[in-house]
Amino acid sequence: MTPSSPLIWGTATVLLDVKGLSTAYQGLIAISDISLNVAEGEIVVVAGANGAGKSTLLKSISGMEVPQKGEVIFAGSPIQGMAGHKITAAGIAYVPENKRLFPRLSVEDNLRVGSYLYRGRPDRYAPLDKVFTLFPRLKERLTQRAETLSGGEQQMLAISRALMTRPRLLMLDEPSQGIMPKLVDEIFEAVKAVRDSGVTILLVEQRLVESLEIADRAYVLQTGRVTLQGTAKEIADNPEVRKAYLGI
Amino acid sequence: MTAQALLQVLVSGLLMGLLYALIAAGLSLIFGLMDVVNFAHGEFLMLAMYATFGFVFATHLDPVIGIPLVAALLFIVGAFCYAAVVRYAMRAKANIGMVQIFSTFGLAIFLQGAAQYFLTPDYRSIQASWFGDKTLNLAGVFLPWPQILGGLVSVMAFGALYLLIARTDLGKALEATREDQGAVALVGIDKNRVFAIGWGLGAALVGLAGGVLAIFYYIHPQVGAAFGGIAYVTVALGGFGSVFGALVAGVIVGLVEAVTASILPPALKNIGIYALYLGVLFFRPSGLFGKL
Repeated sequence: MTPSSPLIWGTATVLLDVKGLSTAYQGLIAISDISLNVAEGEIVVVAGANGAGKSTLLKSISGMEVPQKGEVIFAGSPIQGMAGHKITAAGIAYVPENKRLFPRLSVEDNLRVGSYLYRGRPDRYAPLDKVFTLFPRLKERLTQRAETLSGGEQQMLAISRALMTRPRLLMLDEPSQGIMPKLVDEIFEAVKAVRDSGVTILLVEQRLVESLEIADRAYVLQTGRVTLQGTAKEIADNPEVRKAYLGI
Repeated sequence: MTAQALLQVLVSGLLMGLLYALIAAGLSLIFGLMDVVNFAHGEFLMLAMYATFGFVFATHLDPVIGIPLVAALLFIVGAFCYAAVVRYAMRAKANIGMVQIFSTFGLAIFLQGAAQYFLTPDYRSIQASWFGDKTLNLAGVFLPWPQILGGLVSVMAFGALYLLIARTDLGKALEATREDQGAVALVGIDKNRVFAIGWGLGAALVGLAGGVLAIFYYIHPQVGAAFGGIAYVTVALGGFGSVFGALVAGVIVGLVEAVTASILPPALKNIGIYALYLGVLFFRPSGLFGKL
């Protein structure tokens, strides 16, 4: 076995440490007592069926939802209960499932707003090089309104806007959803390239096969709880996972 | 009517319309940003007029010098009203629309009452402006200088607002918040700060208008009501949320008012405006440039 996860091999520091996190909507428990961690430089996948609580988990970390219980430690400091904009400023970028682009703003303005935290700094647009290397087609669309982009291009823009905030941790919620198959590989390649450039990734996906190919470790969620965790290979080889998610 | 008399009516209407547009701009800006109608908008105008009066009373300088200060003061008033009242109204768990309406309506009544109590219901006017009662004779068309000043201030304010929205990061933050207030946190923008700035800007715009209006209009605690009413008509005509729709609509409202006043007895001069309002509601409820 190759040393796929630096965390397991004790060489890396934990960037995100979630301890016993619980969130409920109107009294209904969406996630319950979830603990997971992500080490610097890893790609960690959170898998699970619809309604398993994957999106709620990311919302609770990003500050879009306020968790009832538990702790979220990012780079050594507790961030649970902090306002969303402060969590972004602390270094967590989040691309939600529905992307939440600014539809009537141009591609350029979406990227500009993405770098709002660095306004007035001479190196404000430094991440643009990386963005255009990842997604050259965005460069051709700069003056177009975000709402006129295809689903795949919108996902590219959403990831790019997130990168403009210069995150240490990038959280992606189902980036392959609603995208034509040809572009799905491109998105997964980009996610890998982003990690290789030094950004840690927490990825929520239903496409287990593709995401395990690029992941170091994975967690499986079922009705709001972690039911399985391990290296990407362990999860991919797990008989139950193969039966439930891979159809084998 | 002679051609010259007609020109007189149209130019007066245009100048007054530019001032109406400036009053309505802030109302439309706030609505576009956060879907809240500020029913205290006329009272912001009243405060600006009293502030101008106070400036002249205290310094004996020309009120025109005080206008930027009044606008700055109103910026603070607007941002404070958001932070102290509207922000909490927006957190209502039920009937949020009603809560917002009554919160700004309550603010209006409070401001009017406070003005009545502390500043007395007396009518006041500013005598000491260079612009006061001078008129410009332009080939037989007589234009009062205060109205010319109002038109100039309005055009400059709209120009500055355009540059702010189109060119600055604050403008982009305002636009992004207007598009999706729940998403700006994703790029590190504090929406409450943007909302407070939006209220500040909206109030500062009406502050500029109040500063000009104070030079040639009587100042009293209820003065906001009449102009507030016209501002709502203007915003409805221009399209709720469209700041530049407010510019076009303000000019139309000014022209309609001037033409009505020249045809009908003065007591009926508002009929044209409100007939226009009904027409908008019937035929184009989204206004000229609206997105409702």
